[in-house]
Amino acid sequence: MIQFRDGYYADIRIEDRSRTVISYKAGVLDEMRNREERQAFLRVYNGRLWYYASVTDIDHLQQTLDGLYAAATENPHILENPIVRRFEKNRDTIDSFGGCSVRDIPLREKQKLLLSYLPLLTEESCVTMPAGTYLDRSSLFHFQSSLGADIRYDYQTCGVAFNFPMAEGEKKFSGSWQRGCTKYSELLGLEEELRAAVKEQAAFLRNSVPVEPGKYPVVLSPEAAGVFAHESFGHKSESDFMLSDESMKNEWELGKTVGSPILSIAEYGGIPGSGFVPYDDEGTKARKNYLIKNGVLAGRLHSAQTAAALEEGLTGNARAIDCTFEPIVRMTTTYIEGGDLDFDGLIAPIKKGYFIKKVRHGSGMSTFTIAPSLAYEITDGKLGRPVQISVITGTVFETLGLIDGLTRDVELLSFVTGGCGKMEQMGLPVGFGGPYVRVSSMNVQ
Amino acid sequence: MEKEYIKETNRSVTLNVTGGKIDSFRELEKTTGTVRVYDNGMIGVAGCLGEPNENALTEKAKEALSFGIPYPWRPDAPLALEDIREEEILSVPDFIPRMQSFLDRLGALCPKFAFSHKLRLEHNRAEYRSSAGRRLLSAGRAISIELVAQNRGSGNLFDTFFGWGGTKFDEDALLAWIKEQYDAFYRPADLEPGRYPVVAGTETFFETFSRHFVGDLYASGASLLSGKLNEKVFSEKLSLRDDRNPITFPGSRFFDAEGCTAPDFRPTVIEKGVLTGLLTTKKTADQFGLPNLGTAGAPYDGVPGIGFSRYWLDPTAKSLKELVPGKAVYVVVAAGGDITPDGRYATPVQMAYLMENGTLVGRLPDLTINGNVFEMFGKDYVGAVHNDPIDSSILGAVVMDVEKA
Repeated sequence: MIQFRDGYYADIRIEDRSRTVISYKAGVLDEMRNREERQAFLRVYNGRLWYYASVTDIDHLQQTLDGLYAAATENPHILENPIVRRFEKNRDTIDSFGGCSVRDIPLREKQKLLLSYLPLLTEESCVTMPAGTYLDRSSLFHFQSSLGADIRYDYQTCGVAFNFPMAEGEKKFSGSWQRGCTKYSELLGLEEELRAAVKEQAAFLRNSVPVEPGKYPVVLSPEAAGVFAHESFGHKSESDFMLSDESMKNEWELGKTVGSPILSIAEYGGIPGSGFVPYDDEGTKARKNYLIKNGVLAGRLHSAQTAAALEEGLTGNARAIDCTFEPIVRMTTTYIEGGDLDFDGLIAPIKKGYFIKKVRHGSGMSTFTIAPSLAYEITDGKLGRPVQISVITGTVFETLGLIDGLTRDVELLSFVTGGCGKMEQMGLPVGFGGPYVRVSSMNVQ
Repeated sequence: MEKEYIKETNRSVTLNVTGGKIDSFRELEKTTGTVRVYDNGMIGVAGCLGEPNENALTEKAKEALSFGIPYPWRPDAPLALEDIREEEILSVPDFIPRMQSFLDRLGALCPKFAFSHKLRLEHNRAEYRSSAGRRLLSAGRAISIELVAQNRGSGNLFDTFFGWGGTKFDEDALLAWIKEQYDAFYRPADLEPGRYPVVAGTETFFETFSRHFVGDLYASGASLLSGKLNEKVFSEKLSLRDDRNPITFPGSRFFDAEGCTAPDFRPTVIEKGVLTGLLTTKKTADQFGLPNLGTAGAPYDGVPGIGFSRYWLDPTAKSLKELVPGKAVYVVVAAGGDITPDGRYATPVQMAYLMENGTLVGRLPDLTINGNVFEMFGKDYVGAVHNDPIDSSILGAVVMDVEKA
């Protein structure tokens, strides 16, 4: 039982994490491991400075906590501190995966599943070095604070990811496909989807043509739309960037028009998937937050520190990649809400443009960049030849204003590789998605 | 049965900066242990967080042999080598007051910038032993400064970035370096679209291209460089290495995850324009008949994979002024670029200065730079310079197409 002291705020976050990695390359087993780790991150705050410690020895947390107390000066008024006053005191236990934990599935069964998919990669003769990986993660979190919060919840993702470099003559292409989900059973029966993905990418290798650089109408797939929402606006909604400059609050005043009236971007940690965060790493309960609602700046993402500084409410977005780091403001699942069109109706008015189907990576500041891996021409309202595009770019606010069509259905995606990077904390699992999104003009290179 | 034992300890003290003020202190100590055993062409790996019990890990690694992961045992020659650089840079108790004083001076010099992010002291120690008689020990300290600067009132996440790492905290030199950029930041500059020497850190040029140096991709035929090993592919002036030398890259260890060392502790990928090496582990080198470059990295409980340290370009000039004597684009932030399957590279540039005769003239608008990688590092490669504009920096220069975004 941890003994917290008066005169300080303190919290302790413990993660018991299990990870499985099994990978094959060119038909040969490359890696097979199951890692079990327990780590804790402790924070003490005296109203002036935060003191952090990250430990693997979780049997002596009291000793570590006492060490942090010794470094900090006591503050008898700490409970009146605006940050401390914002902390929630939730007490809850969430067991989402108790009956279907990936920890209960034998390693050999996971290996067998992966092996069953590998032959599909070589059905196309151009695939030169097929590689496949099975990954899963199961985490049990326990959060306690000096204010009385006591939360336990579990988190789980699993998936398969395949890379299949292709070469034919002088033509080269790095093929890839992955499926991330939260239950092992969802990884069964993916043969036809994987086969179709390999076939499509082989056709891309053989038939794709270089793009004519220029400005064109562009249609983004739910994957590309999700990357766009995350990179172009999600990061700008992380309000820790507003702390250093007092003028930021005016620049980013809520209620300001920032995009097309059909555009709404939402953020919610309660959605099952890789961005599932029912309680953030400060014990704040997840809630749905609109970043943009009908083109208007509607909200932003907060930790207790940023919420206090900007005099706004908590949002449940204080996250750390693991117990090595302190929580900072991060996204969970970010998505564009749907509109009123179907896909054919969305592309119908485009005389010449491009459809971005799959994305290798994206980034965003005042301008954003998306590097497509699969893209197609749109000619006279119909999908055409595959095209090689290195990047599509645009000014964020200009592009948000140029969104002029959305399909009805929204697709949210989960991932088991990669993740979101922010300064020193790389690879945070997030989810994103959206409908198919039409932008009237983007810079295509 | 053959065996390798690795123990690593990373200690760090990190200060978080918000608006030019330190608001948190984080102390981290992380020790990991690894045992790899090799038997009948298979590998077994076991690892732990915390102080390792070598015997227990060895037993666990032996059990892991049953997974049947093929891995060749290719012992390197016996070698006993230590590189210990543990002189204290700043004491932990001095760290906060010294850094706050630095930040206060910085704030006074650059009042229109709001600074945030991290200041860090690191102390790393890595030990490698093998049954083939290798005993390697690398230990070092480093201090790093990673400061994001926001132009007050711009509304941007960040406007520019200052990153530096080394072993000597020369406060005046750091302040002068940041001040030069600060002054140039507020002098608008312009550039007609065209071809210019682009000066940038090595990551800008090689981060996306580096996957084509990986042995697996090379052997698959899908690398842009496939089939070109030992051929002259690039400019005579270009020599590209993986810098693992603790003198030039403080805090790094001089050997890779399999105990391999290279001359000058810098495995060479390109030597005077010739593709001489590919990024390999002992396994991929064996599997694909390639020379092993010694560029393995590994999780503490996993099979070795590729692990690059930092890109090193051999210097071709003593100063930026000598490297690019006329007009050039000095890139500070260029994120989001990529290469098409036929080798065309394009990236947006979010922060760049116009430079003339090695001096920053003014801030350029957002740009796009592009070129074909074979031309960029062939006829269009200008060269590289070290320690200018700041100690421990490595900058390359390439003529590229530059246009406004």
